[in-house]
Amino acid sequence: MKPMTIQIAFLKTRLLLLVLVAVASLAATAHAAAPGITGPTFNLTAQPAYLTQPDGQGIYSWGYGCTTAPSGFAPTMTGQTCNTMQVPGPTLILTEGQTATVTLTNSLPPAAGNTSILFPGFNVTATGGVAGLLTKEAAPGGTVTYTFTATTPGTRSYYSGTQGDLQVEMGLYGAIIVVPSATRAACTGGLHAANLTAETFWGETDFRLASSAYDNDKTCYDREYLFQFSEMDPRVHSQALAQVTAKAGCVAGAAGCSLEVPTEPYHPAYFMINGRSMPDDMDPNYAAQYPHQPYNGNPHLHPGEEVLLRIIGQGRWQHPFHEHANHVRILARDGNLILSATDATQLAGPALFTTTTTPGQAMDGIFYYTGRGLNWDMYGHTSTSNDPLAQLPCTPDANGYNTGAPTAINFWEWCADHTKPLQVAPSGDVGAGGPVTLPDPNILTNGAWYGGSPYLGPNATLRATGCMPGNALQTNSPNCGATGSTPPSGTIANSPSGEAGFAFMWHSHNEREITTNNAFPGGMMMMMLVDSREFPIDESN
Amino acid sequence: MRNTCRYWLPIFLLGFATVTLNAQSFRVQCPTSTITHPAASNNSEPAYTSATAVNGAIKCQQISGGDGYSTMGDGTQTYMFSFGPLSGLADIANGLPGTEFPTVFNTPYAGAQPLQPGDPATTGLGTFTYNGAIGQVPDVDAQAAGLCGGSGQPSCIDGHVDPRQIMDVGVMNGNIPAPLMAIDEDDEFFLTLTNVGMIMRPDLFEQHTVHFHGYPNASAFYDGVPDASVAINIGGSFTYYYLAPDAGTYFWHCHITPPEHLQMGMVGQIYVRPRQNRVPVGTTLYSALQTQQLNLRTACNPAADILCTNPLPAGGSTGNTVTRAATGNYAYNDGDGSTYYDVEYPIQIHGFDPNFHFVGMTFNPEGFTDMKDKYFLLNGRSYPDTVTPGPMQTESVDGSNHFSQPLPSIINITHGQKALLRISDLDVTEYQTLASLGIPMKVIGYNAKLLRDQAGNNLYYTTNSITLGGGESLDVILDASDPQYAAGQVFYLYTPNLDHLANDAENFGGLMTEVHIN
Repeated sequence: MKPMTIQIAFLKTRLLLLVLVAVASLAATAHAAAPGITGPTFNLTAQPAYLTQPDGQGIYSWGYGCTTAPSGFAPTMTGQTCNTMQVPGPTLILTEGQTATVTLTNSLPPAAGNTSILFPGFNVTATGGVAGLLTKEAAPGGTVTYTFTATTPGTRSYYSGTQGDLQVEMGLYGAIIVVPSATRAACTGGLHAANLTAETFWGETDFRLASSAYDNDKTCYDREYLFQFSEMDPRVHSQALAQVTAKAGCVAGAAGCSLEVPTEPYHPAYFMINGRSMPDDMDPNYAAQYPHQPYNGNPHLHPGEEVLLRIIGQGRWQHPFHEHANHVRILARDGNLILSATDATQLAGPALFTTTTTPGQAMDGIFYYTGRGLNWDMYGHTSTSNDPLAQLPCTPDANGYNTGAPTAINFWEWCADHTKPLQVAPSGDVGAGGPVTLPDPNILTNGAWYGGSPYLGPNATLRATGCMPGNALQTNSPNCGATGSTPPSGTIANSPSGEAGFAFMWHSHNEREITTNNAFPGGMMMMMLVDSREFPIDESN
Repeated sequence: MRNTCRYWLPIFLLGFATVTLNAQSFRVQCPTSTITHPAASNNSEPAYTSATAVNGAIKCQQISGGDGYSTMGDGTQTYMFSFGPLSGLADIANGLPGTEFPTVFNTPYAGAQPLQPGDPATTGLGTFTYNGAIGQVPDVDAQAAGLCGGSGQPSCIDGHVDPRQIMDVGVMNGNIPAPLMAIDEDDEFFLTLTNVGMIMRPDLFEQHTVHFHGYPNASAFYDGVPDASVAINIGGSFTYYYLAPDAGTYFWHCHITPPEHLQMGMVGQIYVRPRQNRVPVGTTLYSALQTQQLNLRTACNPAADILCTNPLPAGGSTGNTVTRAATGNYAYNDGDGSTYYDVEYPIQIHGFDPNFHFVGMTFNPEGFTDMKDKYFLLNGRSYPDTVTPGPMQTESVDGSNHFSQPLPSIINITHGQKALLRISDLDVTEYQTLASLGIPMKVIGYNAKLLRDQAGNNLYYTTNSITLGGGESLDVILDASDPQYAAGQVFYLYTPNLDHLANDAENFGGLMTEVHIN
């Protein structure tokens, strides 16, 4: 019994170290957006490569990639590339009304047979290639061309239409984003303009593909992220590799030049968001260590921003994707807006805290975070503090938010809670008189993404934990260097002095799927950071 | 196996005694008034008549984080990581929420005999009526120093606890489901998690947390994710603070190693009742919702808030004349009375994989990919236990019986009335379907939100089955006022996932319960 105990303890410690090391290597973090390639002509190939997993495994897979350099990338990012094989496949970005031409070259091993692409939701014309069950297919070494017009905006999936149980499992899937052709005045004025002003003031770049998801004023957004969910059974992949290797020299179409890979019973061990398992998904887009998994899952946002989530189920299972911190208003399903039956200007999709992904299905939703209703000031504003930032005003707009000051740290603060204390006793320089007493920090264990205090942002955290900016005197305990009631030690990924965001886990709530090949943590999990305005979000890199 | 456990237990208990003497930091928090609720007494829900003041009351609850045993439908004793009640013990044992007003929570135990391990099962359900915070005692040090209790001084009940009571009652008192919680909109809720340690797995030194799943605009600090906040070590207490969020059916669970701690049983429900319940009888519900529109925190303005789901109902004041009923309650602030019910039942879906629980008890490394539930639970029980009234008890390795599964799932509706089922799913492995044989389910809420479009049209639908993944909730109304039903009828709520109608090897039982029209 005892060796087992040690083994577990060791395993847990080792995993934690693994994660911490991986996290520490992130440097300044913060990169996401919804990157892809622009058309309207896309020259794609389907071919094999190995996907890396956080347990060190390289998984033989098939994916779509670019045969030639694409027409362009959107949004522009450092290191942007379209490899000859990637999972998910390149995100195809079109503008409403464009006619897309997708030419697919089948570079899979001959034994894999034909392959193809389905574009659900589009009226597709297939030319060239050979006949197939669902669409025309590219024979090994051959090509096929699909054309369709992107008549309406939205997020949709594309995936193999040939032996889907094997080919989709192997990685042949991707996303299509159609952005509206016209910019809506509602999306470039008012609070959206103010959000853009704040972004510019803090030196942030706008990485949006558009300012609205659909041709509807309720679909304006300030930031966007794309999450594709899939799972892999490594036994399917290793069988495919073994058979492909054994039949390496076979002639396509000849007797015996085919694969007999059982796809049932199905026991997936890898659960991925955008082709990566946690913590790899929080590394940058186009990170060099993942040449075949260019897209990440590392959402960051500021209070008040309306964030568009484009969510697609690409595997064969459903996954209950739980967004901590707030609900998500579903705008559309498979590119179809869900509007009120009596008023087409009003939304009718559900507001969900768990957005179930369904195989092949895409949904768009809007998420935001403001801290409204916490009943305490999350910025730790204190009128008696010597720090001017502790005394920022909060002037409520018609809805109660401080939106008139886009360049202030507390832009979008919920004014009803302004200066409301949280703690009974003063915490550093943050005032007293609140409802709760925090315990001795020695009975608590800090997480790697803990911002160091209950408060949002480096300024508030420094004030709350004993130090004042510039070593200014504190009103309560004028001794910089002393710790407050919860010292910011042991935090790595969300520096108390640099970021101090509110970190929230976004993950599959089939909790066994937040593991990587039996090891926790891993799988379909990422941290979403609500960042104070002091921390500029950089979605590129 | 059991003998081995008995061999280890005294050693660990000894170790714990040391811990509690030297390093414990158990404490409870339940202020009688706050800056939000400044009145001297906040021990009842006030009427909701105006939008200006923050309405509501103060509620407190204490839970233990530790371990325990439960009894499966085939009689198997199953080891759990689990939460147990450390306040509202009598209420929990009677199938009620363990959430209490300060006056109840802050009352020290004054029974004739000391609290016993296993209480309230040891003392007995009829005799045990205490609902205060276990461990709550006057602060004798402050008292001796003359710092409390006197004129103009604070109360000597200041959250100081006697750890002996907490260890006596809290160790091995794990429940499945975890203690039920219920609060009302505008309440301040002080939830104290006291980590008593997992006696059977001291090797893990496991922290615990509370994640209030679905809490809108949560702070990371009180979100209970150990990676993003603080986790509570063994021997410590931590008080989570929430202003009650929008009405709806939420749930809560530990967020430490979720595939392990959730599968092992650390899952419970918390629901929030709407302001509309507190509207004086006879007041038009539409006008009461108009009143809520006057306060920016309680308003729903679709033009400004894309996430709000209870705008004024379509039809205006002329089309919505329903008044606050003399009896019954509402699930949401609907403004039209459409979420009215007479009785409510929490229905919590979960699953246990006996292999995982055995491995978890026997110090072995656990696998996740092959996790396969074999017990399918409604409120912690499988059929036929789901229809057994009263708490179920299990003998644990400390030799005491504990109320391991206090919550039956039998649904009693008086003919002519309506029942609200608050259905939540915290299964960690697969989707679950629950079907009604006979009486249909009207779905009125989903993920703790009223099903209403932003133009004010109700999007309710009637169905005979619902499907939920882990981390989802849904509210349905069973309407026994339809004249086609008669008293004495029995309907079944069961899963059409037919392999889930089993208790491990027994091809009978599983995810099923009964609806009785009385």
